[in-house]
Amino acid sequence: MDFPQNMSMEEAFALAEAEAKLKQALTESKARFENAVIPNRLNEDWRFGRPHKHAVALAELLQSDTPSQGEATVQHAGEAAVPVTAEDDDLRQTEMLMPTIGSDALLGMHLKRFGDGYALYIEEDTKEPILLTYKTDTLYTPSTFIMVAPGVKAHVIEQHYGCEKGTIFATRNIQVAEGAELKVELQPYGCARCMSITNIQNMGGKVVHYTHHFACDWAREETVAEIYTPGADNQLFSANKLDLDQVLDQHTRQIHHVGGATSNLLYKNVVDDNATGIFAGNIYVAPGAHNTDAYQSNRNMLLSEKATIHSLPGLEILADKVRCSHGSASAPMDEEQLFYLLSRGIPRDEALALVSHGFLQDVVDKFERS
Amino acid sequence: MSLIIRNLSARVKDGAQILNGINLEIPKGEVHAIMGPNGSGKSTLSKVLCGHPDYEVIEGTAELDGQDLFAMSVDERSRAGLFLAFQYPVEVPGVTNANFMRAALQARLPKGEELDAVSFYKTMRSKMTALGMDTKFTARAVNEGFSGGEKKRNDVLQMMMLEPSYAILDETDSGLDVDALRIVSDGVNAMRAPFRSFLVITHYKRLLDYIKPDVVHVLYKGRIVRTAGYEMVEHIEQNGFDFLKSEE
Repeated sequence: MDFPQNMSMEEAFALAEAEAKLKQALTESKARFENAVIPNRLNEDWRFGRPHKHAVALAELLQSDTPSQGEATVQHAGEAAVPVTAEDDDLRQTEMLMPTIGSDALLGMHLKRFGDGYALYIEEDTKEPILLTYKTDTLYTPSTFIMVAPGVKAHVIEQHYGCEKGTIFATRNIQVAEGAELKVELQPYGCARCMSITNIQNMGGKVVHYTHHFACDWAREETVAEIYTPGADNQLFSANKLDLDQVLDQHTRQIHHVGGATSNLLYKNVVDDNATGIFAGNIYVAPGAHNTDAYQSNRNMLLSEKATIHSLPGLEILADKVRCSHGSASAPMDEEQLFYLLSRGIPRDEALALVSHGFLQDVVDKFERS
Repeated sequence: MSLIIRNLSARVKDGAQILNGINLEIPKGEVHAIMGPNGSGKSTLSKVLCGHPDYEVIEGTAELDGQDLFAMSVDERSRAGLFLAFQYPVEVPGVTNANFMRAALQARLPKGEELDAVSFYKTMRSKMTALGMDTKFTARAVNEGFSGGEKKRNDVLQMMMLEPSYAILDETDSGLDVDALRIVSDGVNAMRAPFRSFLVITHYKRLLDYIKPDVVHVLYKGRIVRTAGYEMVEHIEQNGFDFLKSEE
């Protein structure tokens, strides 16, 4: 290893130690990909998400000769956006190290196609949201990297267009520095299959993350939001209307490595027809991460007898002096709310639409206010 | 033209019978009050008339200007001119007051005709001001986070916007302070007209001091047992409802 000439002995030791840790982590990551199995019903993180149909089909597609093919565009980014290339080893390593919630095998396959997407190095406040779009009608495996500099306020919207028959499997690595504020939205539209794995690393800033799925046949979303610095704040929101035979399989982990920080989650779904929603969330508070505030709430409205919700909120708290809560409620539409609208002469179909839309609008309002 | 209820009996769905043969006629232009002890069926009567799904009619009829009320769906009854100011107005998260009212008024227009947004907001704001409501409430979700009094005012606002032919006020005075009671009553009184009727349900004289009824009915054990003038309000205020028990 070559050290810069003006580096002190302590700095040189620290750098060497970091290099060694990285090497070790990369070695371990390689092993996890090699040992990982394709998700199946026996995998705790996949048991409700119809892995026998969708995860297996996704794995087969990734192992096939089908190339990753799609269109990536970015708007309003100025000089912040840099296309990801297969040669970018730093970004590849970042993706290699990102945590999954049961999808190591699939992430390993994603890495074999690494080399598409955008890295956003945001060093100035964004005047209007940076808009990233990934579009395909076959298979597309883009990677997004968002890095927000200290004190900078940014807003990023990432949209996936699947053109009804396309599969998009995207990864997103987000790093937010101290005092930075990032609003980030994920909006998949019309994908036959849509998978996204997101890792948020918050170093003392504020991240407000919102996902909204629209007309995707099957979607799997894994979000690991990590806090590394006191004072950090992660706000996770999701609002979705599911119908027909749609499946939305959402998994989250709010990880507090240190104390004195906040994370909050609110995921809501309106589920109609034969659709299925899955929410499995976990709050992890590391030993010694005292004075943590962490909350998690999953709310679902079921509009038909065949609509299904599997909700598994969870807490894993290894520190004292924390304020943590988790809750879940799934129920048909409130008859009293519906009656109230009907009693004012609003026709039934419109009343149903207003109440269910209002149920989700609550999340949108909170996202916009955050 | 009247609201005519004949021999109405109703029960909680799969449960107890609450109304036991009610007969009541409320002609246009009149204000009728219903008083009665707790559990006598006052709120049940209002909900049955509006078609609440928790209740079912066992027998009897109700006509609204000659139309069979029970043949209509809940929303049709409203559009036909019936209004209920709820005892406990419901919170509807995520639906703004403005969107709620627009949907209700739009539903009353002929197909293809669009509500004029400018005049809608102008009307809504002026009525809110008359009721002492902050006009910012147009953008607030319906009743969400409102105090008890604000919810009641909001229901009266809806009544003023929808201009029904028959309005039932179910304990609108509960939860209102003295000033709010006067403001809300002024709003109701301003709507009194030869083409409109009110059925005011209350426990207390204080509301009927502001909204003077033409006729007072006493409901007991699911039946109208007395019909009189305003003197009945004074009698109940002084003596309570014990006289009903002694006559059993």
